[in-house]
Amino acid sequence: MDTLLIVLLLAPWFLGAALSTAIRPYRRWVGGVIVGGGLVSVGAASALWLTALTRPAIGAGALAIFRVDALSALVAFCVSVVATLAMVFAPQPASMDRDDRRPARVFRTYGGLFAFAMLAAVTVNNIALMWVAIEATTITSALLVPLHRSRASVEASWKYLLIGSVGIALAFAGTVLAYFAFVAVTADRGHAVDWALLASVAPGLNAGVMRLAFVFLLVGYGTKAGLAPMHTWLPDAHSEAPAPLSAMMSGVLLAVAQYAILRWKTVVDSTAGGAAFTETTLLALGLLSIAIGALSLVRQQSYKRLLAYSSIEHSGLICIGLTFGPAGVLASLLHLLNHAIAKSMSFLLSGRILARYGTTDVLGVRGLARTMPVTGPLFAAGALALMGLPPFGLFVSEFLLFRAGFMSGHIWETTLALVLAGIGFIAIAAHVIPMVTGAAPEHVTCGEGGRWAVVPLLLCAVALVVLGLAMPWPVGALLDHIVEAITV
Amino acid sequence: MDRVFEQVSVLGASGVLLCAIIMLWRRGLTAYISALRWQSNVLAGLTAAVAYFGNDRDLYWVAALMVALKGVAIPRLLTRLSQRVVATQEVEPFVNTATSLVLSGLLVLLAYTAARPLLELSTAPTRAGIPLAIGLIFVSLFVIISRKKAITQVIGFLMLENAIALLAVLATYGVPLVVELGVFLDALMGFLVMQIFLYDIHDTFNTLDVDVLSRLKH
Amino acid sequence: MIAITGVAIEIGQALLVLLLAPAVVGLIRWVKARLQNRRGAPVWQPYAELRKLFGKDMVVSPNASWIFHAAPFVVFGTTVVVSLLVPVLITPLPFNDVADLFALVYLLLLGTFALALGGLDPGSSFGGMGSSREMTIAALSEPAIALAILSLALAAGSTNLGEMAARTVANPSAALSPGHVLAFAALFIVMLAETGRLPVDNPATHLELTMVHEAMILEYSGRHLALVEWASWLKLTVFLVLAANLFVPWGLATSLTPGALAIAAISTLAKVAVLAVAIAILETRIAKLRLFRVPELLAVSFVLGLLAVASSFSVR
Repeated sequence: MDTLLIVLLLAPWFLGAALSTAIRPYRRWVGGVIVGGGLVSVGAASALWLTALTRPAIGAGALAIFRVDALSALVAFCVSVVATLAMVFAPQPASMDRDDRRPARVFRTYGGLFAFAMLAAVTVNNIALMWVAIEATTITSALLVPLHRSRASVEASWKYLLIGSVGIALAFAGTVLAYFAFVAVTADRGHAVDWALLASVAPGLNAGVMRLAFVFLLVGYGTKAGLAPMHTWLPDAHSEAPAPLSAMMSGVLLAVAQYAILRWKTVVDSTAGGAAFTETTLLALGLLSIAIGALSLVRQQSYKRLLAYSSIEHSGLICIGLTFGPAGVLASLLHLLNHAIAKSMSFLLSGRILARYGTTDVLGVRGLARTMPVTGPLFAAGALALMGLPPFGLFVSEFLLFRAGFMSGHIWETTLALVLAGIGFIAIAAHVIPMVTGAAPEHVTCGEGGRWAVVPLLLCAVALVVLGLAMPWPVGALLDHIVEAITV
Repeated sequence: MDRVFEQVSVLGASGVLLCAIIMLWRRGLTAYISALRWQSNVLAGLTAAVAYFGNDRDLYWVAALMVALKGVAIPRLLTRLSQRVVATQEVEPFVNTATSLVLSGLLVLLAYTAARPLLELSTAPTRAGIPLAIGLIFVSLFVIISRKKAITQVIGFLMLENAIALLAVLATYGVPLVVELGVFLDALMGFLVMQIFLYDIHDTFNTLDVDVLSRLKH
Repeated sequence: MIAITGVAIEIGQALLVLLLAPAVVGLIRWVKARLQNRRGAPVWQPYAELRKLFGKDMVVSPNASWIFHAAPFVVFGTTVVVSLLVPVLITPLPFNDVADLFALVYLLLLGTFALALGGLDPGSSFGGMGSSREMTIAALSEPAIALAILSLALAAGSTNLGEMAARTVANPSAALSPGHVLAFAALFIVMLAETGRLPVDNPATHLELTMVHEAMILEYSGRHLALVEWASWLKLTVFLVLAANLFVPWGLATSLTPGALAIAAISTLAKVAVLAVAIAILETRIAKLRLFRVPELLAVSFVLGLLAVASSFSVR
C-alpha cells in the first residue's frame, strides 16, 4: 500500500513528461491527461498526509530509498497541488501552427520533470540523492524560464542557472563535509547516509566540521530558497518566467529548499554548540532577506517583480521562524503552506492580467475590478493575503511566528522583522490598490474570459480563508507531528 | 608507503590548485580551456592514486569517468563553442591579474584557517591536501565572480565542481558510487544546459560579455 | 673562532664560483645556439670577452660623477660577498653566522641599487629607462625571493642558509613535499627576473627599447664593463647554486676532508650545469613578456611562495 501511494505520487509527473515529449506536435488531450495525472498525485499526497498522522514514517518496502514522514508529506502535498494548478494554467497553443505548439509541449515536458524532481527531493531518504534531485530542479526549471525568448528572459535565465548551480555546488560541498564527519565517527563508508541514520549519530559528530558544513549548506540551499545575499537571481527569474512556472518556483521550489535547510538544521542542532550557531546564521540571513525583500518592494514598477520580492521577504520570515523554538517551527511550516497557496494563486492571476493588459508595469494596469470581475478581486485578495491581513491564513501564521519570537526571547529581532513586514505591507498596498481601482485603459476588453479556468484559483482563496479562520484538524495534527519529530 | 601516499596526494592537490592559479594568470579562452583540461586530468590521476593506495576499486571508475567527461568531452565542447562564438578581443576582467593572483593567495591562506577543524578530525594520509581543496573552492568562486565573459564563468563553475570532487576524494576517499554517478550525471546535464544557454545568449545579444546582461536592474 | 682552514675554504669557494660564472653563461649561450641550429661560440667565449674588455680603454661621459665609477665595484663586491654566504661546497659554512636569508636578499638589492644609480648617472635616456625598469622589477621580486626561501626557513626553524640545506639532507622525503616544490618553482621564476633572463629580459637583444639590464650598462666600457658583466654572470651562477643546493642538497660536504670537498665540487657543478641547460631550453621556447605583464608573472611567483609558506606552516 505504501509503495503504491509513493508511486502514485511520483509517477504521474514523470509519465506525463514522457507523454508530452513523445506526442509531437502537441495535442490538447495531452494537457488534459497531465492535469488528470496531477490530480492523482494530489490524491496520493493527501493519502500520505493522512497516513503520516498515524505513523511516524512511511517507508516504501520495495523502493527502500523513499521515506515519507510528516514533514515530507506536508511539502509533497504543497508541491503536488501547486504543480497541478500550474499545469491547468500551462500555456495553450496559440494556433495550430507547429511552432506555436512548441511552448505548450516544452512547458509540460520540463514542467513535469521539474515537479517530479521536487517531489523526489522531499521523499527520498538519502542526503546525497536529495541533493541530486534539487540540482535536477535547477536544470529543468532553468530550461523553462526563457520559454518566450527575449533579451530580458535570456538574461534572467542565465543568472538563475549560474547562481543556482553555484549555490547547489556549495550545498554539495556541505554534504561532502557532513559525510566526512559521519565517516570519521562511524568508520562506515559503504552505507548510504539517510536522515534517520544521520540523526542517530548526530550528537557524536565533530562540532567544528558540522559548523563549516552548515555554512556551505545554508549558503547553497539558501540560494535556492531566495535568501539574501544570494537572492539576486530571484526577482529576474520569477518575473521573466511564464506565470505558471513562476507559481511553481515561488510557491514550492522555495518550500523544497526550506525543507532541505530544516532537515540539515535538525542534524546540526544535535551537535555540540550547533543550535546556537544555526540560530545566529539563520537569523542573520533571514533578517537580511526580510529587509531586502521589504525595502525593495517600495520602488517596484513591475507587479511580477513585486510578487518575487515578496517571496524573498516571506522566505526570510520562514527562516527566522525556524530559530524561535518548537512554536516557531510550527509557525514557519504553517507559513510555508499558506505562502505556497497564496503566492501560486497570485502568480497565476498575474499571468491572466498580463495576457489581458499586455504589460507587467504596475502603472499600466488600472481598474482591474471592472475589467476582470473575478480575477481583479482575487488578485486583491492575494495581495491582502501576502500582506498578512486577516481573514487569510498568512495572518495566523505570521501572528504565531511573531508570538513565538517574543516568547523565545528574540525581542530585537522580532521587532525588526515586524517593522520591516510593516514596510512591505504598505508598499504592496500602495502598488496594488491603484491597480484594482480606477478607470481601465482604453484598449483593454472587459469581462472575464475563460470562466472555468478561474475556479481553481477561487478554491485557493477559499482555502486561504479556511486556514485563516480555523486550523483544520489534519493540518494542526500534522504540524504537531512534525514539530514533535524534529525537536525530540 | 604511507609517506609516499601522503606526498603524492598533496602534490596532486597542489597541482590541481596550481591549474586554477594559472587560469587567473593567463588570458585567452584557449588558455582557460587547457587549464581546465589539465586540472581535470591531474584530478583524475590523483583519484586513481587514491584508489591504488586506499584500496578502493570504485574510485578507478570515478577517475575514468572524470577523464572522459571533464578531461576530454567538456573541453572539446567548450573549444567548439569558443570557435563558434569568436572572442575577438580579450576582455579585462573586473579585477586585474596581479590583484587576482594576490587575492587568490590570500584566499588559500583563509582556507587553511577555515579547514583547521577538518585537519584535526581527519586521520587519513590524504588530509594535508584538504585545505588546498577548500582553497580551490574559494578561488573558483572568486573566478566566477570576477570574470566578465559568460563562458569564463562556466569554466569557473566547472573548476568549482572539480574542487568539490577533490575535497570528496581527499576527505573521504570519494562518496558512494551511486552518488558519484548521480553527481556526474547532474554535472553533465548542467553543463549541456549551460552550453545551450551560451549559444542562446550569443544569438540574442551577439556577445558573451556579461556586462551587457544588466537590463534587469533592482 | 674561524679556523684558517675555514677561511681558506670560503675563499676557495668564492673563487670557484667567480671563475665558474663565465663558463656557466657560455654554456647557456652554447646550448641555445645548438637548439637554434647554429654552431655557436665555444663555452669559454665569455672568458675571452672579459680579457678583451680588461685590456681596453674606457670612454666615460663628461656628465658622469663618482657614482658612475663606483657602481661597478659595488656591484661586483656585493655579489662576491653573496657568494661567500651561499653553501657552495660545504654546510655548515665557516662563515655560518652571517649566512642568513635576509643578508642575502639585502646584499643582492644593494648591488641592484648601485647599478641602477650607475645607469642614471651619465644622464642618458636609455640608462634612465633601464634603471627605472630594473627597479620596478626588483621591487616586486625581492618579496618573492624572501617568501620562497622563507618557506624553507620555516621548515628548518631558522633563516640560516646552511641549516636549511642541512635539514633537507636529513629529511630526504621532504624534498617532494609541496612546500619544497612550490618554493622551488617560485624561486625559479624570481631568478629569471632577477638575473635578467627571458621571459623578463632578453640578454642578447640589440634593441635598446626592449632592454632592461643592458640599457643600464650601455654607457660602461673597458674595465668597468668587464666588472659589471662579470658581476651579472656571477649573480646568475650564485642563484643557480642557491637553487641547487637549498632544494637538492645531496653531495654537499659536511666535513672538511678533501674527498668530500671533491665530491661536493663535482655534484654542485653537475647540478648547476643541469639548471643552466634547463634555462637555455626555456629561453629557446618562450617569448619575452611585455613590460606591464612582468608584475603579473612576479605575482604568480609571490602566490607560489605564499602557498609554499602556508603549506610549510600547516604540515609542521
